[in-house]
Amino acid sequence: MNTIELTVNKRSVQHAIEPRTSLADMMRDTLDLTGTHLGCEHGVCGACTILVDGVPTRSCITFATACDGADVTTIEGLDDDDIATELRAAFTREHALQCGYCTPGMLVSARDLVMRLPTADEQAIRIGMSGNLCRCTGYVGIVRAVTSVIEARRARAIAARPDAGRTVLGPAGSGHAACTASQKLAPVKPIAVDVPGAATPLTIPDFTPSTVMEQQFSVAHPPAKVYALFDDIAAVASCLPGATLTGTPRPERVDGAIKVKIGPISANFTGAARVERDEARLAGRIIGIGNDQRSRSTTQGEIRYRLLPENEGASTRVELAIGYSLTGMLAQVGRSGLVRDLAARLVSEFAGNLDRRLSGDTTSATSRAADLNGISLVFGLLRDRAARMLQRLSGRGDAT
Amino acid sequence: MKPAPFNYERPRDIASALSVMTGAEGTVKIIAGGQSLGPMLNLRLVAPDTILDITAIAELKRADVANGELTLGACVTHADIEDGRVPDVTGGAMQRVAADIAYRAVRNRGTIGGSLSHADPSADWVSSLTALGASLSLRSVRGIRRVAMKDFILGALESVIAPDELLEAVHVPARAASARWGYVKSCRKTGEFAHAIGAVLIDPEAGKARIVIGAVEAAPIVIDDTDALFGGTIDGAFASRFDARVADRLLSDAGIADATDRHIHVAVLRKAVAEAA
Repeated sequence: MNTIELTVNKRSVQHAIEPRTSLADMMRDTLDLTGTHLGCEHGVCGACTILVDGVPTRSCITFATACDGADVTTIEGLDDDDIATELRAAFTREHALQCGYCTPGMLVSARDLVMRLPTADEQAIRIGMSGNLCRCTGYVGIVRAVTSVIEARRARAIAARPDAGRTVLGPAGSGHAACTASQKLAPVKPIAVDVPGAATPLTIPDFTPSTVMEQQFSVAHPPAKVYALFDDIAAVASCLPGATLTGTPRPERVDGAIKVKIGPISANFTGAARVERDEARLAGRIIGIGNDQRSRSTTQGEIRYRLLPENEGASTRVELAIGYSLTGMLAQVGRSGLVRDLAARLVSEFAGNLDRRLSGDTTSATSRAADLNGISLVFGLLRDRAARMLQRLSGRGDAT
Repeated sequence: MKPAPFNYERPRDIASALSVMTGAEGTVKIIAGGQSLGPMLNLRLVAPDTILDITAIAELKRADVANGELTLGACVTHADIEDGRVPDVTGGAMQRVAADIAYRAVRNRGTIGGSLSHADPSADWVSSLTALGASLSLRSVRGIRRVAMKDFILGALESVIAPDELLEAVHVPARAASARWGYVKSCRKTGEFAHAIGAVLIDPEAGKARIVIGAVEAAPIVIDDTDALFGGTIDGAFASRFDARVADRLLSDAGIADATDRHIHVAVLRKAVAEAA
């Protein structure tokens, strides 16, 4: 806990709060200013928008501690504000709200637009309000209300202030005199619970993957030898970057974990897999499910493989189809492309490791698979790109 | 939807920040405006032991021009640039980019240094500053090194910043009077992360260009042979000679297999070139 001082709605307040407490939670839970609404809690919906040092900010993704010494105005503090008074009348007149959940944030953003926009340009108003989501009224009434207030004020010769009067640099709420002391706060760490297999389901269900990637490569070994390697679950797992096994793997159940990392995000999926083999077709399937407790995310994945003889059985073409589905917080971040990029890098690393392992290079395959480290993957990617670029450039004879 | 508990440090100078980074137990994550990190902390996708808030460091809010080069401290916000509270050497290019980042409430806290450190391939500064030829100062107890924007991003959310390094400042060279600027992005919803970005700085008098295809979910594509994109030479008629086939091939070579994705990227780049003309 740490004592911070804020001016909230023109009143000085001091409170001891945890560093992780958002400005929104401090307003609602500590100061009972429940007019600040929380919708998405990750900076998308705009319901929590309040004024910090006179300009709109997302209070759900702004820590109260980071604003120590700042001037905060919530919807409750706008009762006597000129622009807010005109906006309330306009919202009423234009039927700009029904349930009212988004309205506090809407009014704060609308007030900022009324102050800053020189003219009531509909496009600019719609763009300016696009960070505030309404799920019942729709935006027509809101846009009309904002338009009418801008028009009325400009008609009364009240000029726009495009910078909303801000003169200092840096994040709104930062840089106050009271903020400059270094503060170390006592850690309140949750007790780490790491029970292997705690989140592992008893049965491993079938599923339809939402994304499937195909890879194929050839190895200079006969299909029977390659097929034997696929029977060695520990060897296959060692080719999967970041994968570790717990206990003795059996075809009907393999317990283990896979660690993945994208920038600052790291997840450790703990789970189980089962192995199906079709000896006649030299094909098989590994199907698994895992949970990451910290991000409360679940992934299901499968590796289908098929081995085809080449060069009259002297070598083998390995065809892989790798599919996965992801649910939970990780998926909710809404950037499927980043996850796909990671999965693509993972698949190509796996194929490369498998190829090396089959060629007898067990040491490098194992060490390379130690962790799905973003950097090593990126270097892998860069290497591929550089190789492609050289191929392309060499045709023109200037590979510099 | 609350972050896991963390230690919090808000030093007043860079030296103290660096000592937190090297001295703290466990993982340290730097925060500035928190507009990218905040959501990840709330979702508990990221749970560092220590949050190092660098926004009380006055040096990181500098904005000055020397020898035609603009230097912005890492904690300068998008709104600071949008509103013209900092000098400009890009003929308004940076101001326009800043004005279209996310939403005003985000721009009031989100910083240029935070956006770059986060290394999201779809972030506006990642592509635009690459095209503008910017470079970055990375500071650690070992000293300062300068990295060109084109060498900075390694992949999705991965940059060359080492764990003990702090992005201190962004350096932007003055845009030549004859250089034309175009910046276009495709977003399905206003303010969301872009699905395609085209950033072009074309100087027909010098016959040179810097062209970036961004938001490819990996490091931006910096086009080396820009002449080929305009039929072999860059002159005053560059826009009419834009060769979509060359752009499409570059995207294919970069591993973008989906024809629709490539089409969107090419269309966005064409618009950026047209805007520069």
